[in-house]
Amino acid sequence: MTDALHAEWTKLRTVASSAWVLLALAALTMAAGGLAADVVKCPASCSVDPTKISLTGIILGQAAAAGLAVMVMAGEYSTGLVRTTLTAMPRRGVVLSAKAAVLSACIGAAGLAGVLGSVLAGRLLLPGNGYTAVHGFAAVSLLHGPTLRAAAGSVLYLILIGLLTLGLGAALRSTTATAAAVLGLLYVLTFLGDIGLNGTWQRRIERWTPMDAGLAVQATTHLARQAITPWPGLGVCALWAAAALGGGWLVLRLRDA
Amino acid sequence: VTTTLTPRPPAGPATRNGFWQLLRSEWTKFRTVRGWAITLAAVTALTALLPIWLASTATSNDPEICTARGCQVEGRYFFIGPSGTAVTDSFTFVHQPVGVDGSITVRVDGLHGTGRATAPLGFRQPPGTQPWAKAGLMIKASTRPGSPYAAVLLTGSHGIRMQDDFGHDQAGPPAAASQARWLRLTRAGDAITGWESATGAAWTRVGTVRVAGLPATAQAGIFVTSPDFSEGVGSGDNMYTTRTQAAAAFTGLRLTGGTAGRSWTGGLVGSETLVPPAGLSSAGRAGPGRTGKCGPYCHQFQPAPGISRRAGTYTLTGTGDIAPFTPIVDPMHIAFLATLFGLIAVIGLGAAFITAEYRRSLIRTTLAATPRRGRVLLAKGIVVGGATFAAALIGTAVAFPVAGRELARNGWKLPVWTDYALTSGTGLQVVLGTAATAAAVAVLALAAGTVFRRGAGAVTAVIGLVVMPLVLAIVLPLTLATWLLRLTPAAAFSLQSTVPHYSQVSSVCSPYHGCFPLAPWYGYAVLCAWAVAALAGAIYVMRRRDV
Repeated sequence: MTDALHAEWTKLRTVASSAWVLLALAALTMAAGGLAADVVKCPASCSVDPTKISLTGIILGQAAAAGLAVMVMAGEYSTGLVRTTLTAMPRRGVVLSAKAAVLSACIGAAGLAGVLGSVLAGRLLLPGNGYTAVHGFAAVSLLHGPTLRAAAGSVLYLILIGLLTLGLGAALRSTTATAAAVLGLLYVLTFLGDIGLNGTWQRRIERWTPMDAGLAVQATTHLARQAITPWPGLGVCALWAAAALGGGWLVLRLRDA
Repeated sequence: VTTTLTPRPPAGPATRNGFWQLLRSEWTKFRTVRGWAITLAAVTALTALLPIWLASTATSNDPEICTARGCQVEGRYFFIGPSGTAVTDSFTFVHQPVGVDGSITVRVDGLHGTGRATAPLGFRQPPGTQPWAKAGLMIKASTRPGSPYAAVLLTGSHGIRMQDDFGHDQAGPPAAASQARWLRLTRAGDAITGWESATGAAWTRVGTVRVAGLPATAQAGIFVTSPDFSEGVGSGDNMYTTRTQAAAAFTGLRLTGGTAGRSWTGGLVGSETLVPPAGLSSAGRAGPGRTGKCGPYCHQFQPAPGISRRAGTYTLTGTGDIAPFTPIVDPMHIAFLATLFGLIAVIGLGAAFITAEYRRSLIRTTLAATPRRGRVLLAKGIVVGGATFAAALIGTAVAFPVAGRELARNGWKLPVWTDYALTSGTGLQVVLGTAATAAAVAVLALAAGTVFRRGAGAVTAVIGLVVMPLVLAIVLPLTLATWLLRLTPAAAFSLQSTVPHYSQVSSVCSPYHGCFPLAPWYGYAVLCAWAVAALAGAIYVMRRRDV
């Protein structure tokens, strides 16, 4: 297993684009979060959750997390490297676990940087936009339990999206198809849930799709109004990731490379 | 330093090297990959089925509610206009009968707002006088709301206008609302001419309109009204509406061609007593909207329209509007946004059409056979664009009429919404427009695939450009969202709009409810500009580098 981890880490480390994608993950998360924190003004929308606004960037950052996962698994199929990998390490489960571990560590590190930057941006920008004690807001701080949950949960969410994509990549074996499927699942489904014309279905989408349910972990206020509470929401997202990994593992086992 | 030269192939017969030959070879490549044929079939199926499903479950967002007093949509009453569509028709009216030939003249001594609610914190305060507040002369078939009419009027900030039968509006000379202005309407049969004058001596014609269905004895008189003010800020459905009120003084009211022995009578036309829609507080004034914020139905201001007369001067206070009824929610647009799933498949297809060649090194064979790279990409663009257009068109042509029937079954029907006929202008716009959007997006994906040479990168970039703005638009504040939907390829989704917007009716355009800032085909032009620029960039990049 150690060798497998070492091999996967070497493969990831020695491709220039991995570093760029991880940098993009952190930068997109921070930039979009900072922008959102900068444009939202309190007297107009005091009902927003300041922590959630600061962490808006995860919506963009997750695309980079998915991108890295596409490169790690589906990318091997497009270059044919997967044959070498499986010749060297014939046990499919070990390969998939090693990839999952290395991917999680990388996304976790970049995600942590992005999330910390976003929280800092929220802490610095939001008070200037009216989110002050006068309107009943404390500065965004990681010492505050729910905010810590939101921050840690966001990093975990990014990792789960990475694992979901990893599993899908193993099942679909095409970078194009995997990227299209993941982005469709994340963005289009959520978008339709937001604007849809039926309350029951909107609530179902909010509860059971990976992005809506997973990002419920970012909520720190009005928890009763959420379609799903923070940790169970992240749990739904984890179920999606587990199902995708399971499916990927099955395909990897049953099909020839 | 080595220079790579691609030798030109010897000139063969024109038929072998022609563009047609190239098109045929690209088409052969396209149709013989089984995965792509399946994807194309999936595009058709997704495009057809998802909007139908969304429409068949569309039961929220306040479709028509009818009570004994009349029907209302989104908390506003509507009446049936001369052409059978829904109209708003409420104003304060002082009138008397007029025959087939007659004229009415008056001096409007300025128009000013006399009441509105104070906007909630963070919202822009409504202007004192609404831009489309109206005061002037009207000849109307009867005092029944929705009956045919023609009017010449002074507005809050759009000068003098001639309007008739709710949809029609002609601009007259500019005039400040505070100025005194003479107005005149003359009737000759069903032709009505509006005049205006600064002094009451020299008259300028504003316009002549034919009003069908005007009886021999119609009602002529003076009127005042002031429309609702709506404003959206923040994201989603964070908007508020207030009723407003305006007043104007009229002197020198004179009628010729009237009925002997009749005098001026006054009253309110289409005066509505608001019945709050289900789910709102019974006061119907400050009920919470869907998000619990001050929603679309906040009427914190209760107007008190009235008429007073002193020494030959009438002062009318009015509230409401005389205009087409425009609903906020566009259900067909929302249902058709489900075609985004098909579009994701189109993006994958467009990108794969070129990245697969790079992956399998087929591109070397392709470029050896046709060294002119621009032509290769052009042929690929035509093939993939044409194929996706056809696949999407079958889907949309099935989806539109069936989804329309489902929407009508769920209460989204005439007279407020359209009848969703496939052959109507709106139907063709949505059906052809959605298919044309798929084609342009496929070309955009092809260009991105050429530049990136990798499927995942190209797909991510194109989804980021086309789909992401839609997602962000409902999260971001309205001003930022509006700019995103003007400048990015997502502007093309305005082609799916089915609710008309009139320049003489102020309304809030919120992406959350399916409204886009650009007019339909302008939005499509933005997408095409992106696609053409991307293809040009791809040709440039491809020429510069070796395969």
